[in-house]
Amino acid sequence: MATFTEHLRARGEPGLTALLAARPDLAAPPPSSVRSLSARAANRSSLDRALAGVDALVLAAVESVLALDGVAGSRGATAADVAHATGTDPARTGPPVRTAVELALLWTEEPLPEDLLPDDLGDVVLHPAPGLDDVLGPYPAGLGPRLVDALGRRSPQAHERLAQELGLDVPAPPTDDDTPSRAEVEADVVARLAARLADPAVVTELLSRAPSGAGAVLAALTWGPPVGRSPVPAPGQESSPGRTAVEWLLRHGLLSVGDSQHVVLPREVALALRDGRTHRDVTVHPEPDGIAVDPRTVDAESAREAENAVRLAGALVTVWGADPPPVLRSGGLGSRELRRAATRMDVPDELAALVVEVAGAAGLVADDGDDPPAIVPTTDADDWLRRDVAARWQTLAEAWLLADRAAWLVGTRDERGSLRSALDPELRRPWAPRLRRSVLDVLAGSPPDHPRALAAAAVHEVLQWRTPRAAPPLHAVEAVLREAGALGVLGAGALSPAGRALLAGATDDGLTPADALTAQLPPPVDEVLLQGDLTGVVPGRPSTELAALLDAAAQVESRGAGLTVRFTDMSVRNALDAGRTAEELLAELSRHARSGVPQPLEYLVLDAARRHGRVRVGLASSYLRADDPALLTGLVEDRGLRDLGLLRLAPTVIAAQAPPAVLLAALRERGLAPVTEDPSGTVVVAAVTARRVRVSRSRRGLRTTDDLAAQADDARERRLRRLAKDLLSADRAETAALGAAGVRTGPATAETGRAPTAGSSAPDARTGSAGRIEEGVGEGTPDPVLALALLREAAAEGREVWIEIVGSAGSSTRRRVRPLRVDAGRVRAIDPEREAELTVAVHRIASVTPA
Amino acid sequence: MTDGPLIVQSDKTLLLEIDHEQAAACRRAIAPFAELERAPEHVHTYRLTPLGLWNARAAGHDAEQVVSVLLEYSRYPVPHALLVDVAETMARYGRLQLVSHPTHGLVLHALDRAVLEEVLRSRRTAGLLGTRLDDDDVVVHASERGHLKQVLLKLGWPVEDLAGYVDGEAHPIALDETGWSLRPYQQQAVESFWHGGSGVVVLPCGAGKTLVGAAAMAQSQTTTLILVTNTVSARQWRDELLRRTTLTEDEIGEYSGARKEVRPVTIATYQVLTTRRKGVYTHLELLDARDWGLILYDEVHLLPAPIFRMTADLQARRRLGLTATLVREDGREDEVFSLIGPKRFDAPWKDIEAQGYVAPADCVEVRLTLPDHDRLTYATAEPEDKYRLAASAAGKNKVVEQLVARHPDDQILVIGQYLDQLELLADHLDAPLITGATTVRERERLFAAFRTGEVSRLVVSKVANFSVDLPEAAVAIQVSGSFGSRQEEAQRLGRIMRPKADGRTAHFYAVVARDTVDQEFAAHRQRFLAEQGYAYRILDAEDILEEHTQD
Repeated sequence: MATFTEHLRARGEPGLTALLAARPDLAAPPPSSVRSLSARAANRSSLDRALAGVDALVLAAVESVLALDGVAGSRGATAADVAHATGTDPARTGPPVRTAVELALLWTEEPLPEDLLPDDLGDVVLHPAPGLDDVLGPYPAGLGPRLVDALGRRSPQAHERLAQELGLDVPAPPTDDDTPSRAEVEADVVARLAARLADPAVVTELLSRAPSGAGAVLAALTWGPPVGRSPVPAPGQESSPGRTAVEWLLRHGLLSVGDSQHVVLPREVALALRDGRTHRDVTVHPEPDGIAVDPRTVDAESAREAENAVRLAGALVTVWGADPPPVLRSGGLGSRELRRAATRMDVPDELAALVVEVAGAAGLVADDGDDPPAIVPTTDADDWLRRDVAARWQTLAEAWLLADRAAWLVGTRDERGSLRSALDPELRRPWAPRLRRSVLDVLAGSPPDHPRALAAAAVHEVLQWRTPRAAPPLHAVEAVLREAGALGVLGAGALSPAGRALLAGATDDGLTPADALTAQLPPPVDEVLLQGDLTGVVPGRPSTELAALLDAAAQVESRGAGLTVRFTDMSVRNALDAGRTAEELLAELSRHARSGVPQPLEYLVLDAARRHGRVRVGLASSYLRADDPALLTGLVEDRGLRDLGLLRLAPTVIAAQAPPAVLLAALRERGLAPVTEDPSGTVVVAAVTARRVRVSRSRRGLRTTDDLAAQADDARERRLRRLAKDLLSADRAETAALGAAGVRTGPATAETGRAPTAGSSAPDARTGSAGRIEEGVGEGTPDPVLALALLREAAAEGREVWIEIVGSAGSSTRRRVRPLRVDAGRVRAIDPEREAELTVAVHRIASVTPA
Repeated sequence: MTDGPLIVQSDKTLLLEIDHEQAAACRRAIAPFAELERAPEHVHTYRLTPLGLWNARAAGHDAEQVVSVLLEYSRYPVPHALLVDVAETMARYGRLQLVSHPTHGLVLHALDRAVLEEVLRSRRTAGLLGTRLDDDDVVVHASERGHLKQVLLKLGWPVEDLAGYVDGEAHPIALDETGWSLRPYQQQAVESFWHGGSGVVVLPCGAGKTLVGAAAMAQSQTTTLILVTNTVSARQWRDELLRRTTLTEDEIGEYSGARKEVRPVTIATYQVLTTRRKGVYTHLELLDARDWGLILYDEVHLLPAPIFRMTADLQARRRLGLTATLVREDGREDEVFSLIGPKRFDAPWKDIEAQGYVAPADCVEVRLTLPDHDRLTYATAEPEDKYRLAASAAGKNKVVEQLVARHPDDQILVIGQYLDQLELLADHLDAPLITGATTVRERERLFAAFRTGEVSRLVVSKVANFSVDLPEAAVAIQVSGSFGSRQEEAQRLGRIMRPKADGRTAHFYAVVARDTVDQEFAAHRQRFLAEQGYAYRILDAEDILEEHTQD
């Protein structure tokens, strides 16, 4: 009989490489040997992680093997058993079983050949990985304890009574303590009783003469949970029908006592009642139907949203560049600032929060770290602004896909009742990228040319099947769909081609998300229809140049497949402010206007230009005034004062670029006696400055380019292969060393239970006929992980080990024990020699040596 | 992707490119359900509103038709959410019906029980509904029919009124089509109205709304109550009815401040109906004076609030609203929908102009730069006086004079708001003046003289805004108005839009003081007409003055 470790060793280099790739937590940090690899693979958190990634079929297969293992004295279960127990087609059980074996959740005696057909898999015996029973709880698939364990708790007298009820002839308990030992006889009795009760025919026969009510009791427990509360007779009454039935069932071994108040249905009995099934029904992959959407609609709507998202992020950069919002003390953006940004962008708060978060994730805006800190566009934002729409979108979409932030929580309240703000460090959710990917993966299931829109509930159902142990909550799925819709990853609720490219990452045909989006965008329109009511309509998507012109000179009234704008006095003034002259503006407009610039618009522009600049504003740091114009003329003409930047505004007023102190000093030097006029009233005209912050290199490039990604993949693959090779060669070296020392003993001696003393060399390393995790070389293993794994395996196998326990005084004692359970930092074990049960805290165990 | 003329925006506006070859077909197809918002020269903007979609449902269109029309004509893929929304909105109409029950009278019948439950639980329906007959039917107090319809519309579950109308007292009326005949669009308007039962017909000024009313009466063959805006308008209605129908003078009564006649066809003013004495509407009994078979509302966009309340009680009678624009400055379009009825017919002005039924019009805004001392007065004036100051700027007189001189052979109306200004102008131009103070007889005399050409220039105050039929007027000069009222501008333009014998173009001038609130209000006033496709040219007053000196 092989062990888990041996199984791992036998997988060889390709098998181990695959395992390390599938369960990356096993490879980091690299394990030192196959043994420690196997210990780590049996570790609770590692198993949890591996189980979180499997779908309902694999989980059912694993649960099924775990439940069937040890039933009626069996060891492991065959794939055929699994198929029967889960009620699935044997051909269909092949792939999930293989997946489970690949993940080392199940193991086989012999490695599975690559080319084994699913049909031939039927006879392969599968074993659950050690530690699984801890992870999957005490009642896998809702099945109670095995009969052997349930009956083992009863007294010899009870066994005798039960044997009588079952019509089984059992040897009387030996009175003589010599041979065979009392315990062995008891074990034999329990085994025979268990074997009898495990026979479905016996159960059926027993039930046929059970009192009324017994059937109902069993039916309630059959499909789990297998624990029920013992009925308590009403006060003043001896018994009740329910109690009578339960007592009868207990007497006949169909129920066992759980504790003083509960009864439990033993596993074999439950299986008999379930017709041998561990799972009532296992859904084969659910196929969400969704609503078919015209692919053109998907293209158009997602492109529109994508453009819109890019536009909004650009607007945010512009707005914050001029007027950066402060960072809250707790980090993040205050809700009032968020609302202001939303108003400036003319979108609802939720969308503004998403834009802010995505811009943050893409590194377009960042905390400038000043005092007081503000959120300011980065220098990267300038590069970003220079790229075309599709490239800009790709940056945003990739940042969103990979962002470990839950933008949808902005505006909700946390458990302390305080508002969660955008860019708040608390909103980091490491699982968010995985969630997004898994949701989009479900949507990617529909063929590209027949896109289907899926509701959140349908997506959620699929996710529950795909990862039953790690399904996201429905509201998170809804939020991801909403965000994806707003960013144009979805269109009309279905995955867009660009979204598909985004999800696929670097593909062989080299289609980047930006390329895909470019293909989706309708051809740009370079003309605008200007009308007499001062509106303009672009019958399509405006070209970059036209969009910039209209953006500068008009107000947008409606966006969509087309664009309508209105020219107002204010909008024209903005264009003039930005440096265009009326003539230039009209020339630009007429270049784009198929039907010419209507007279009212032309008049509007000219009229606005007429008034433009009538009032002028300039920059000055100080001023000086005097009643004597001649004096001021003298100052302006004075070459010595040229550095002060004096500008005569009126006969009696001069503005100066120099600050008041400098001006004062200069004037005094020239022999004048100036006085400061109302020091607090100094006019300081602050220019609008666009601020930028430079971020460290590490914040940029959230995603490496595809080339680099591919190289990284290769490198990882090579690293894992090397690691697998190292593990195996370390293993061979160990074995060789043992062989050379000549301490290797035959398999027979391994079972003798010779107590190794501290300091002596290990008796056996290679053949390990009993231990699943192979015994340590040398004097037991001090490695706690390995020690725990050995204990767990011994508990699963019912074997004995030597443990070295460090007492509270620091002295250590060695005892040979049979571990029963390793749980919650404690080991419960039986010391067969002293016939006592003991519980030891794990940290008190210095080493474990297989007996 | 088709190459259709329509662009469907996600904000539910529809952009129709009218130079497109399919534009006319598309316009016809979307007209039943989309509201025309703007009709400038190149691209017309329509909007999908719940009201519009319910109008379409009321007219027998269903969501499937709407969706297929959008898909057929749209140039780009139609937003998915919009299609869903159209279907959902339209499905809300008619889940509830008002029916007459043989024994219980008026009953609210639900086709969707959940909607009925929701409506019954609303506090707004309290007191409007009586006992519940069964799961799907609730008695409605007959007097609350109109009110209930209003409330249900507000709740978003517009009721389909199938309770029918009382026949009313029969009275023979026929059109007397000697020397003229009903225009095709008038015929269509009457048919749409009659088929729908009650509702509103929207036609531009000068497109013959009175005739639509007369034809509706001829169709109804019942006694009719006509509600109009003022006494002059009442007289014109009477004259028109005498000329165009078989009705005689004895059959038509006038119910106004001056006379209280109730005859088979009675024309009453809004004012007399809304007169209150000690908080009681004294002339309310008129509404029940006869068993009216048809009630006509002239200028629905001006309907005062008390008339709405009275109309709520008249739901069992056929109602026809006539207007040039459904735009209400007070935004009570939904009350028009629920109380008078849905829009039954609508034709853009430019279309009717193209068919030659209204004169083409040239709209010009003349901007006058105020002299410096006026600007100073203006700059320092109290905000509430600013408009008056700017609008009645003295410089306007000269401009008006030049404009009048431009059209020596035309009949000219000069329209203004402020009496001082008008008196000054009348004096300047040596033209008669009509204001609210002018007696009705004097008014009629002057209007008659204007019609015959005896008087070629008239200076009028806002009394001439509506329903004054002056077919020969070809030029209107507006010097001031009621602030930014869009419908006033439309009405004033309407004065000169009767087709001229020689197909001349009408001219509409608005004289505006530059850089003042006058200019801002003017921009607002022009919006409706600009959206109807009347592009205003803007001229500088200086150019006009110069033009004259060159002559």
